[in-house]
Amino acid sequence: MLKSIKPKASTVIAYLAIPFVWYVFSVFVPLITAMFYSLFEWKGGPQKSFIGLENYSKLISDGTFWMSFGHNLFLVVACIIGQIGLAFIFVLMINSRLVKLKGIHRTFGFFPSTISAVALGFIWKMIYDNKRGVLNWFLTAIGRDDLTKVWLNDKSIIMLLVAIPLVWQFIGYYMVILLSGIAAIDTEIFEVAEIDGANAVQRAIYIVMPLLKNTLLVCVTLCVAGNMKAFDHIYTMTEGGPGTASMVMAMYGYKISFEQMNMGYGSAISVGIFVVSLLVIAGSQALINFYTKDKGVD
Amino acid sequence: MAKNAVGIAGKKKSTAGEKAKKGILAFILNAILIIFSATCIFPLIWMFYSSLKPKRVFNADIIGLPKEPTLVNYQKITSNADYHIWQSMGNSARTTILSLFFIVLFGFIVGYILARVQFKGNRALYVMFLMGMLIPVHSLLVPIYVVFNNTGLGNQWFTLIIPYVAFGLPIAVFLVESFIKSIPTEMEQAAAIDGSSFSRTLFSIILPITRPMLVTITIIQTFSCWNEFSFALVLMQDVRLQTVPLAMTMFKGQFASDYPKIMSAMLLTMSPIVVLYFVFSKEIIKGMVAGAVKG
Repeated sequence: MLKSIKPKASTVIAYLAIPFVWYVFSVFVPLITAMFYSLFEWKGGPQKSFIGLENYSKLISDGTFWMSFGHNLFLVVACIIGQIGLAFIFVLMINSRLVKLKGIHRTFGFFPSTISAVALGFIWKMIYDNKRGVLNWFLTAIGRDDLTKVWLNDKSIIMLLVAIPLVWQFIGYYMVILLSGIAAIDTEIFEVAEIDGANAVQRAIYIVMPLLKNTLLVCVTLCVAGNMKAFDHIYTMTEGGPGTASMVMAMYGYKISFEQMNMGYGSAISVGIFVVSLLVIAGSQALINFYTKDKGVD
Repeated sequence: MAKNAVGIAGKKKSTAGEKAKKGILAFILNAILIIFSATCIFPLIWMFYSSLKPKRVFNADIIGLPKEPTLVNYQKITSNADYHIWQSMGNSARTTILSLFFIVLFGFIVGYILARVQFKGNRALYVMFLMGMLIPVHSLLVPIYVVFNNTGLGNQWFTLIIPYVAFGLPIAVFLVESFIKSIPTEMEQAAAIDGSSFSRTLFSIILPITRPMLVTITIIQTFSCWNEFSFALVLMQDVRLQTVPLAMTMFKGQFASDYPKIMSAMLLTMSPIVVLYFVFSKEIIKGMVAGAVKG
């Protein structure tokens, strides 16, 4: 570190004070408050009674919470396969010399990721609508009236139906990230491989995939972190319903805390979401590290 | 040169059959990508022309183009004060602009100090700021609601700026810190020799250099502030203070099944973001990707 950049301690403190207090007040104070309130039986009123870890033992045996957690994991898997998988395939296609309008595909493909999840939820709610929805209109148009239904009421496929908008929204986003990764690769590699007789699939698996490894891992990490906090579009589309068939952790925490006003248990759920999300993120990172080391590719 | 020669030789060998195969492949590839791009933009176009139909016409034919386009839906939603369209857009604009200002300002200052000034606890502070990226915001909804309401910070015109700035800071600090570390310290040294104070160097020399990074931060945060929903949902009960995403959820109840009306309200409230995106799409895509990959 250089001597020239040694301002007075008071100057540094003066500059750091406001952002520090602002940040701690809105991130760490609530976190500690949540841990504190989670030890109480509290319905939002003035009455609070200390019950120790009872909320947590309730949480551990709360089937709905763990089912919600499972739904979060389902979204993670669906998005890793759907978003990154499709984005990877589209990137290979766009990179081909045969494809035109590359700029348009980037601009249009990226567009959905800039709109709010609430708007996204509304758009897809309208697409799935049984009377005025595009999906049923399409099925009728191709003569398959028998397949039309009240989509968002079907418990058995509801998670798939809420996953589709999410996947759709971010394909373009991951496509653009992967394109930026592929742009850094020397194109001669592809040409040489082509001359050596590698076909498109071989090139994709043995050349592009290893070279894009780091970018792909960034995408996986974004996917995991992003889907652990799924909330907005589910709130607009189903509110976790029908019943609890599309409940995710954040939605469940919101319902318990703000609809049932069960703030004590809601706080315990908040802490639960915090711990479980961090574990999943850390776990996925460990898995990635283990996997990449094992393969010995770098 | 040698490689080019091989390439040309390879091309010469291609027969008419291979050419036809290539043509079919090109057609399939282009078709798939065009379909994908079309689905990405279709909802916007569908909403646009459908919003020009009265409800009755839309319900009779949901997909057809309007035969007699009308602005009646727009008139209805903007003239009725109960829908708070302009108000919510004003709230969103104010919240977004003020949040951006503080995120960029604080991110710049904190990022610079953490990159350049050595003091005890520098790394601890850095880690603390970065942790914000890992904390799932939804685990903070209940406590933030309690803390804000107990301190009287809830339900005010400035309420949402507080969490938006706090949760925008980590990525900003991170991007600025790594950017500053990548540039040499010579200019700051020269400035110090010339007698420039710390603050003056910070704002008149470092700030202009860091500008590209600050633009990236602004781009990322514009979208996340304008679109943010969860904090707005729990912290803003007063309908007059609602931001756009929250106001949208109210349309659902108010308009129930009047889709053209919902669509016109959605398009109107989305318009600033949509216009911004299509005007600056190149810069925006670049900025978002840079933020995602480095973050």
